Amino acid sequence: MTPPRPYTPRVARKFIGTYRPRIDALEKAAGKVQFVDDITLKSRFPGMLYARVMRSPYAHARIKSIDASLAERLPGVKAVLTCKDPEVSSLKPTSAGWTDGVDTVSYERMMWRHYRDRRVLGDHACWATDEVGAVVAAESEQLAEDALSLIKVEWEVLPFVLDPIAAMGPGAPVIHPGIAPRNILPKDTVGGKDVFVDKGDADKGFAEAEVVIEATSVHHNATQASLDNWCCLVDWKRDKLTVLSNSYEADQTRMHISQMLNLPINKVRVISSYVGGQFGRGDTGDQPFFLFTALLSKKTGRPVKFRHSRRESFHDSRQPAIYTGKVGAKKDGTITSMYFKSIGNSGAYADHTMFALKFAPTEITEVALAHIPNVRMESYGVYTNKLPACMMRGVGNSQFNLIFGHVVDMLAEKLGLDPIDLALKNFGHEWGGLPDRSLTAVLREGEKRIGWRAKRHKPGAGPVFDRVMKRGVGFSFHPAWHAEWQEARRGEIRVRITVNPDCSVVLDAPTVETGTGSNTCNVLGCAEALGFLGIGPGDIVWPHTVDTETSLKDCVQTDSAVSYLQSEVVARAALVVKQRLLEKAAGFLKARPEDLDIADGRVYRKAARAKGITVRDVFRLGDMLPVVVEMGRPPNAEKTGVPYIANFAEVEVDTSTGRVQVLKLVVLNDCGTVMYASGAEAQQIGGQVMGLGEALTEEIIYDEATGVPLNFNWIDYKIATMADMPEIDPALLEVWRGAGEYGACGIGEGTLTCTPRAVLNAVYNAIGVRIDDIPVKPEKVLKALGKA
Amino acid sequence: MAIKSEKQARAEKKPPVKIKVNGRWHEFEPGRDIEPEMTLSYLLREKLGYTGLKVACDEGACGACTVLMDGKAVLSCMKLAVEAHGHEVLTIEGLPEDDPVIQAFAKQCEPGYGTALQCGFCTPGFVMAAKGLLNENPRPTTGEIKEGLSGNICRCGCYSGIARAVLHASHFSPCPGQSARQASRESAQKGGKQ
Repeated sequence: MTPPRPYTPRVARKFIGTYRPRIDALEKAAGKVQFVDDITLKSRFPGMLYARVMRSPYAHARIKSIDASLAERLPGVKAVLTCKDPEVSSLKPTSAGWTDGVDTVSYERMMWRHYRDRRVLGDHACWATDEVGAVVAAESEQLAEDALSLIKVEWEVLPFVLDPIAAMGPGAPVIHPGIAPRNILPKDTVGGKDVFVDKGDADKGFAEAEVVIEATSVHHNATQASLDNWCCLVDWKRDKLTVLSNSYEADQTRMHISQMLNLPINKVRVISSYVGGQFGRGDTGDQPFFLFTALLSKKTGRPVKFRHSRRESFHDSRQPAIYTGKVGAKKDGTITSMYFKSIGNSGAYADHTMFALKFAPTEITEVALAHIPNVRMESYGVYTNKLPACMMRGVGNSQFNLIFGHVVDMLAEKLGLDPIDLALKNFGHEWGGLPDRSLTAVLREGEKRIGWRAKRHKPGAGPVFDRVMKRGVGFSFHPAWHAEWQEARRGEIRVRITVNPDCSVVLDAPTVETGTGSNTCNVLGCAEALGFLGIGPGDIVWPHTVDTETSLKDCVQTDSAVSYLQSEVVARAALVVKQRLLEKAAGFLKARPEDLDIADGRVYRKAARAKGITVRDVFRLGDMLPVVVEMGRPPNAEKTGVPYIANFAEVEVDTSTGRVQVLKLVVLNDCGTVMYASGAEAQQIGGQVMGLGEALTEEIIYDEATGVPLNFNWIDYKIATMADMPEIDPALLEVWRGAGEYGACGIGEGTLTCTPRAVLNAVYNAIGVRIDDIPVKPEKVLKALGKA
Repeated sequence: MAIKSEKQARAEKKPPVKIKVNGRWHEFEPGRDIEPEMTLSYLLREKLGYTGLKVACDEGACGACTVLMDGKAVLSCMKLAVEAHGHEVLTIEGLPEDDPVIQAFAKQCEPGYGTALQCGFCTPGFVMAAKGLLNENPRPTTGEIKEGLSGNICRCGCYSGIARAVLHASHFSPCPGQSARQASRESAQKGGKQ
C-alpha cells in the first residue's frame, strides 16, 4: 500500500490549507451535536402533534372520492386535512425545483416555472408512494398512522409507465398532459430547446473526421441516502409561523412558505441547525411537506412534527439518463466533432431534470469542450411513474461524465493512442490554450499514482491471476466544480465579523452545516485574515444555527463553493476591521491612522515598530464597544477558466462469478487553493462511498408489474460499508488559480463525478468487453463475457 | 392501544422494568412508561432524552443507534426496551469527553485519511460500535476494525479516517494483557494504510 502523500501548498499560510481537526470535531465525536429530530423531542414541545401523510399504493392513480370521517373520530386525532379541503386545494401548483440553491427565488422566478407539476397533497398520484389525499395530525405517530388506515379512498387506478422510451412512444399513459402532452418536457427558458447546444456544424465535423466512434452509457436512479431523514416541526401561532427543519436553505424555505401560504416574509421564521448529510437531497426547502405540516399546525394551534421514515426518505434521486455519444477525429487525435443525445427519466415530477440534462452539459460545453469546433447536444426529459429526481451531489455532471469518459476511452483505443494523450490534446477551457495546465497536472499525477504505465494493457490482454481474476486500470476526468465567476448569480455574499474587547471573535458567516467542512474553512479564513490580532481559530466562534429572523442570509451549500466564497468576503471585511482599530488607536497614540499598523495583537507606529499598545488596550482605554464589520460582496466575475478533476481506478474482475472488486482509487482535485486540507481529503475519500455505490451496488429496483419500488431500505439498497471500500489515495493539487485572495474552487461534488466511468473503463481494460450501464453487477459482467 | 395495555398492566400488576442507563437505574412502569413493542432506541431518545444515538433506518441496517449493553455493542432499534431489563446500557452521553475513542475521532486529521467525521450524524453510533469492538479486542488490526465496524454506514464516507481513529484509540487505551505477538502485529499494521 502507498504511504500517504500530503500536498504541498503553493503559498504557505498559517491556517488556510492546513491539516487539522474540524472546528466541530469534538462536539460531534462526543455526540453533543443536535439535529432537528433531537431538537424537536416531545419533551421540548409538550403540546406537539405528529403528522403522517397518505401515500399512493399505485404507480399512477387518481382519487375519486375520499372519506376521512372515521379517522377524524379516532381518539387522539386532532386534525385531518384532505385534498378536498379548500385550504389545501386552493394552493398554487408548484415544483420542488424552485432554485438550484444558488439564489433565493420567488414563485414567479422559480427556475423550472414551465414545469409546475406538483400539487400539495393533490388527488393525482404519479408514482407509488407519492404523498397524496390526506394528512393527519395526532398525539403520536402510531395514532396518525392508524388514522390514515381508517380513511376510505376510492382510487381510479391509471395505466403507468416506468421506461422513458416507452413513455415517449404512442399510446403511453400521459402523466401531466397540461405540461407535456407526450410526456416529453417542452423547451423552457433555462434549459433551452431540444437541441440545446449547436456549435459550429457537427455534421460537417463528422464528414471531415477520419475516425468516428459511437457509444452508449446508462446512468440509473441512485439516491442521496443522507442518514438524517427529512424532518420538520412547524409551529403556527396567531399570525406567525416558525419552522425547525433540516432543509439546507433557510432563506429559500422562508420564501417558499411565505409565497405559497401568502404570509409576509417576516412572519415566517425558519431555523436550521446541523444537518446529517445533504448531498443535494430535495434541494431547496420547496418540498410540499412544509406546507401541509404548516396547515395542520394552523388548524390545531399546536406545533406539528413531520418526519420521514427511512423508507419515505427514498424521496429524491439522481436523474437516470440514457446517453449516446458520437465523436469524430483526425488520425492524429484532433477531435473534429462531438454529438451527445440524452433521454432522461424525470420520474413523476420534472423538478431539476433539465438542470441535469441541459443546464449542466451546457456549462461543460462552455469550458471543457471550448476547443472542439463542432458540438451538438440534444436532450429529452421524459415523465414516467418513477421516483422523481431533484439534485444529487454532482447533478448532471455524473451522468454526462459516464458518456464523456466513455467516448474518450473508446476513441483513444480506435486511434491507438493513450487516452491521457488524447484528453490533453483536446480539452481545456475557453480562456486558455492546449494542453491545459490543470488537466495535464491531474492526469499526469494520476498516471503516476495508479501506476498507469505498468498496469495498463490492451483490453482484456493483461495477466490472469488465480486462473480467473483479471485486472485493469482506467480513468475519467471532468472540469472541476465552480470557480468564483460561476457563482455570480448568488448576488451578495454577506458576513459579519465582531471583534470583542478581549480580541475574541464572532464570525457570522451563515450556512447550514451539512458536514462539508465549510464551517472550518470559514474559521480558518477568518483566523488568517485577522492574523494581525495575534489570534487563532480557537479564538473564533462560528454560530452554527441559521435563523432567518436573526442571521444574515445563509450562503447555500451548493456548487461545493461555500468553502471559499465566504472566506473571500471575510478577507476583505478584515481589512475594514483593521482600519477601524487603527482609527480607534490613533487617538491614544497621538498619530494618524495611516502612520500606524497592527501585528501580533499590537498597534504600533510604522516608523518605530517596538513601541505601541496592545489591541486589547485600545478597547480598554476606549468605549469597550466591539468592532463590528458587516460586508456584502458579489462573487468576483473575472473569467479565470476552470481547473480539472480526475479519478483513476484499478479493478479486479472475477471472470467466473462476474464480481468486480475495486482495488484502488486515486482521486485528484486541482483546488486552486486548498482551503482546509483534512476537510478536502475527507471529501475526496468520502465521495467514493457514493461514487462506488453508483458504480457497483446502489440501484432502486421496481416491480415491473405494479411499478412499486422494492428496495427503499438500506438492506436491499446497498451502500458500501467500511469493509467494502478499497484503498483511496487523495491527491490535492494547486495548479489553476481563480480570482481573489485565495482563488479556490469547490471540490466536494467533483470527487465522485468521475468514479463510475473510471471504474467502467478499468473493467473494460481488465476483461476487454464493455458494460454500458451501471451499476456493474456480477450478472452484467457474466452476460458481457458470454457466460450468462 | 396504549390505553389497553395500561389497563392490562394494572390488572396484572406487572413489576417495573429496571434498566441501568449511564450508571443510573431507571424504573419504567409497564403500560405507562414502557410498552411491549417499544424499542430501546425509542425509550432512550424519546423517554430519557439521550439523543446522541440516532434512528436513521430503524431496522438494523445502519448502526447509527448503536449503544453498549453490558459492554457489548447492540443496535438499540433492534432491541425491545423490555429486553434491557436488568441490564446496563451505556449511551455516548455516558462516556467522558476525554474517552480515548471520542478523542481519537475528534483529533483524526492525519494526511491521507481525511477526518473521522463530517456531518457527525453516524458518529455516535460509530463511537459506540468502536467501544464495543475494543472491549472485545483491545488491539484490533485495521482488517479487524473494518470487519468489526462494517455494520455501520457513514454516508459522508469517512471510513478511512474512522479506521485510523479506532487504531489510534486502541493505542491510547490501557491494555494490560497485551502480548508481544499482538504488539508486533500492531506495529506492522501501523505503517500500512487503512
